[in-house]
Amino acid sequence: MQNIITFASMTAAMRARELLRRNRIPARMTRTPAKYRRGSCGYSLVLERDADAALKLLRQSDIRYRGVFADDDR
Amino acid sequence: MIYFDNGATTFPKPLSVRRAVAYAMQNAGANPGRSGHSLSLRASQLIYDCRENAARLLGVPSPENIIFTLNCTTALNTVIHGVLKKGDHAVISSLEHNAVLRPLEAMKQQGVSYSIAKVVCGDDEATLESFRRAIRGNTKLVICTGASNVFGVRLPVERLAALCRIYNILFCVDAAQMAGCVPIDMLDSGIDFLCCAGHKGLYGPMGTGILAVNTDVLPQSLIQGGTGSMSASPLQPEELPDRFESGTPNLPGIAGLNAGIKFVLSRGEDAIFREETRKARLLYDGLKRNKNITLYTERPDPAAQVPVISFNVRGHDSEETAAALNDKFGIAVRSGLHCAPLAHRHFGTEDTGTVRAVISVFTTPAQITYFLASLDKIF
Repeated sequence: MQNIITFASMTAAMRARELLRRNRIPARMTRTPAKYRRGSCGYSLVLERDADAALKLLRQSDIRYRGVFADDDR
Repeated sequence: MIYFDNGATTFPKPLSVRRAVAYAMQNAGANPGRSGHSLSLRASQLIYDCRENAARLLGVPSPENIIFTLNCTTALNTVIHGVLKKGDHAVISSLEHNAVLRPLEAMKQQGVSYSIAKVVCGDDEATLESFRRAIRGNTKLVICTGASNVFGVRLPVERLAALCRIYNILFCVDAAQMAGCVPIDMLDSGIDFLCCAGHKGLYGPMGTGILAVNTDVLPQSLIQGGTGSMSASPLQPEELPDRFESGTPNLPGIAGLNAGIKFVLSRGEDAIFREETRKARLLYDGLKRNKNITLYTERPDPAAQVPVISFNVRGHDSEETAAALNDKFGIAVRSGLHCAPLAHRHFGTEDTGTVRAVISVFTTPAQITYFLASLDKIF
């Protein structure tokens, strides 16, 4: 199962990906899938693992994200 | 061409900058932050890398606090027009560029007023007192140049930042002549807004600038539009940097700026400043020996000046001297008022202007010797 973290801006998504990369948590950048867009477009990170550690790091670094979704469609 | 017009824009640019611009155009020519395909993501990565490096260079807490602008003037206008409202007052220094003076003058029509605090060269305490006296109950913003673009005189920006904290006033620094040369740490210094030209001491291409933000009190955005984010909302996003970055960014320029910033980081601002001051002293000492030259500042001292030297050949207007340097010797300098009439008024050079020679890391001692020899026989 994948976890998707959505962001309000490309810069926030890039900053998050860089933080996760430094902490050896691989994440792939993608456009936010339609079902998670909540009426808006933007960018997301796709994690092939549990998102808890990643979210903890984001909060510690004050990187704001919009939502977290468990995506079992893929 | 022997180039001493580095205060207007540095030339030449490092090879890495030229290559980075070409790389962006050849290999990442998609619109960054708009699409999800690989080419667009590669372009976005180039932009983000520049944000990270700029944040590192300027001591900014997060890459999101780095806003890319067209130039330093756009960054200053973003702060001035975005912060000040009817009834507000601003304080500026007596050495400001028109990039600060003209927006404030224009805002008089909207009920904004401003005062000019006199800079006392060589006496930071007196300069601080001038600013302190100019502050009123409705002062919302203090703006000052970090270093005069005409005379190189540095202002005590850290102490002015501390003064503004006491009075709860926002503090903005015009770092056009300072960034890349004088080390800056926004977080430590307490500067709220730092406005930089990307194409001067940061060695990027023209058409690039930075507004670095170190406060939660954000200006209104000057322009609104597409940001590639929150598109369903008719409202401009609140988040940085999108709040201030509507429209397609200057990707080749920002890629070049990134290479320029990396060039500065690799050499070290301290080392650049020392090297440029050493060369500026060589130039200054030679000018001082020429009895036909009038100089307006003391010998370059890193604590008080950046390597910008203004002078005149006695009996000749600055335009005349600059034209002769170009025509007879192939030397590029800037003459006139340098878009800074306030600074010229301060130094009493409003009528003649001055000839300005500015050092870069690429200026060689041989070029300085040639420059001085040319002035010996110019008229």
